[in-house]
Amino acid sequence: MKKRMYYWVDEKYIDKPIISEAILKTKIMINILMAKIMPQESFLIIELNGNKNQINEAMDILNRYGEIEDIPKIIERKDDKCIDCGACVIHCPVKAISQDRKYNVIFDDKECIGCKNCVKICPVKAIDVFDIY
Amino acid sequence: MKTIKDINEKIKNGDAVVLTAEEMINVVEDIGPKNGAKEVDVVTTGTFGAMCSSGVFLNFGHADPPIKMMKTYLNGVEAYSGLAAVDAYLGAAQPNSDVDIDIDYGGGHVIEDLVAGKEIQLVAEGYTTDCYPRKRASTTITIEDLNQAILLNPRNCYQTYGAATNSREEKIYTYMGALLPEYSNINYSGAGQLNPLQNDYNIKNKSYNTIGIGTKIFLGGGIGYIIGEGTQHDPEGAFGTLMVKGDLKTMNRNFLRGATIPKYGSTLFIGIGVPIPILNEDIARACGIRDEEIMVPIVDYGVPRRDRPIVSKTNYKDLRTGEITIEIREDETGKVIEKTIKTASVSSYKKSIEVAEELKRWILKGEFTLSEPVDNLGRGSNKPMKPIAKLVRDIISRPPIVATSDISITEASKILIEKNINHLPIVDNNHKLVGILTSWDIARAVAQNINSIFDIMTRQVISTTLDEPIDVVARKMSKYNISGVPVIDKNGKIIGMVTAEDLSKLLGYKKH
Repeated sequence: MKKRMYYWVDEKYIDKPIISEAILKTKIMINILMAKIMPQESFLIIELNGNKNQINEAMDILNRYGEIEDIPKIIERKDDKCIDCGACVIHCPVKAISQDRKYNVIFDDKECIGCKNCVKICPVKAIDVFDIY
Repeated sequence: MKTIKDINEKIKNGDAVVLTAEEMINVVEDIGPKNGAKEVDVVTTGTFGAMCSSGVFLNFGHADPPIKMMKTYLNGVEAYSGLAAVDAYLGAAQPNSDVDIDIDYGGGHVIEDLVAGKEIQLVAEGYTTDCYPRKRASTTITIEDLNQAILLNPRNCYQTYGAATNSREEKIYTYMGALLPEYSNINYSGAGQLNPLQNDYNIKNKSYNTIGIGTKIFLGGGIGYIIGEGTQHDPEGAFGTLMVKGDLKTMNRNFLRGATIPKYGSTLFIGIGVPIPILNEDIARACGIRDEEIMVPIVDYGVPRRDRPIVSKTNYKDLRTGEITIEIREDETGKVIEKTIKTASVSSYKKSIEVAEELKRWILKGEFTLSEPVDNLGRGSNKPMKPIAKLVRDIISRPPIVATSDISITEASKILIEKNINHLPIVDNNHKLVGILTSWDIARAVAQNINSIFDIMTRQVISTTLDEPIDVVARKMSKYNISGVPVIDKNGKIIGMVTAEDLSKLLGYKKH
């Protein structure tokens, strides 16, 4: 199974190889989708890939060094603005945007990691992505 | 044989058979064009894309005391008013006069806000005369306050448009959208099998079956007219365009939208639908055209020249799948490589369908009848402009002063001083460019106590070629904040230098 989350690392542990510890101790596979280190904390979007036990164990380890949070809905399509051109689709690195058979542009909230690549190229400013850090 | 009059009778009686161009494809396939012409009366087409060559004529009415408007701004966007006192033309691609807003809110956005009924800030300045004593006028207006708001677009509705990709190693921003490095995406535009000119095209005569001057159309959600061929109209090459006009007051935001093409400019998305009367078998056959039959060239926008190279050809059907595989010839090695590339539309096929369906509804309800064109479209012309472009070869100094990377910092600084230059290209034994050293690098080497040229030179050198226009070189210098660009040949060997000084000298040139 796959679980995506936000992860804030506490100031004390910014320079510690926490992700490596979680991987080595639980053999879970972790995909880092975004990482930003700031003086007071570091912020990551990570995806855990493994069985339920592994994920729980890994989350226990991660919780020791920081805070985990479920990814909220961060992308919104402004229906009064979107013209369904589809220019944004290829700019999404995690395939959260697609076009259905009737050419409707569809956002998958669960997949969006908030990178804003799509926001930058939308010609009619139809996409809202909320700031996450 | 049917006439437009016959069809209009049927429309009024509610008996007309109207299909969209998509629906007509199956009819032509199932029962053939001959029977198709018997069964079907009108085919509606549609397109919805960014059309920069659009704008609106506005008449503001006279103020008291009156003003002869010479500089006119609507929400900060300038409209051309070198016309009679209170007439102006607002172009879709005009950026905002406030440089902080710039292309984020330009002419296209003002046009959308007018249509939406929003209040618009109007500021006008003029020179005073005995009959127009006023210098300045400032007020807010809505579309209702205007005497006329006439959308008049010199070039809309391209029959086909080349798809865009990018061979360069950097991302570029074009009017076809953001193009990722090294052929990583293809952006395309156009309604293909729904496009008005495509459905009306007579391949034999290289002309249009029914579309002419005076054809009544769907324009931005209102009623408009084709008033002639568009600028750069090229029926010979199946690249026709249309000039259209319509009353902005009848249009709506559903089919007309201001937009910003990132780092390029502001523009207007507009929906255009043309009804095609199915008068005979040939017209019916043309309306059976499918996406896969429409060839689309893939053009390399990485080459900033008028005649951009065509890297491959495809069609709208393949483009709409989201991914195509093409063969590309590599410039340096001449090797042909196969590449699978993601495709994205920068126009809206969904909106194009909506246009065709809306027009179909109007006709079925008897609200919209067809017009008889008063004349054929002109044959058009699409010649290049011919300003003299100065190329790098016209201005370079040769041979270049170069050095190899084994010299010392001191030796390098001596060369710069003796030759009175600021850039020293570093080459290998084959005269191939491997880096560049500037006087600033040497200052840095001294300050930081670095002794090797290798550690201080810039390795990712921005370079040019003999045939590059100097305008392109100037843009490179400003983009990368550099003041010298080595000129290299096909094999990467250095053959000269162009510096900011060389370019600034040109600005001082006197006209002969």
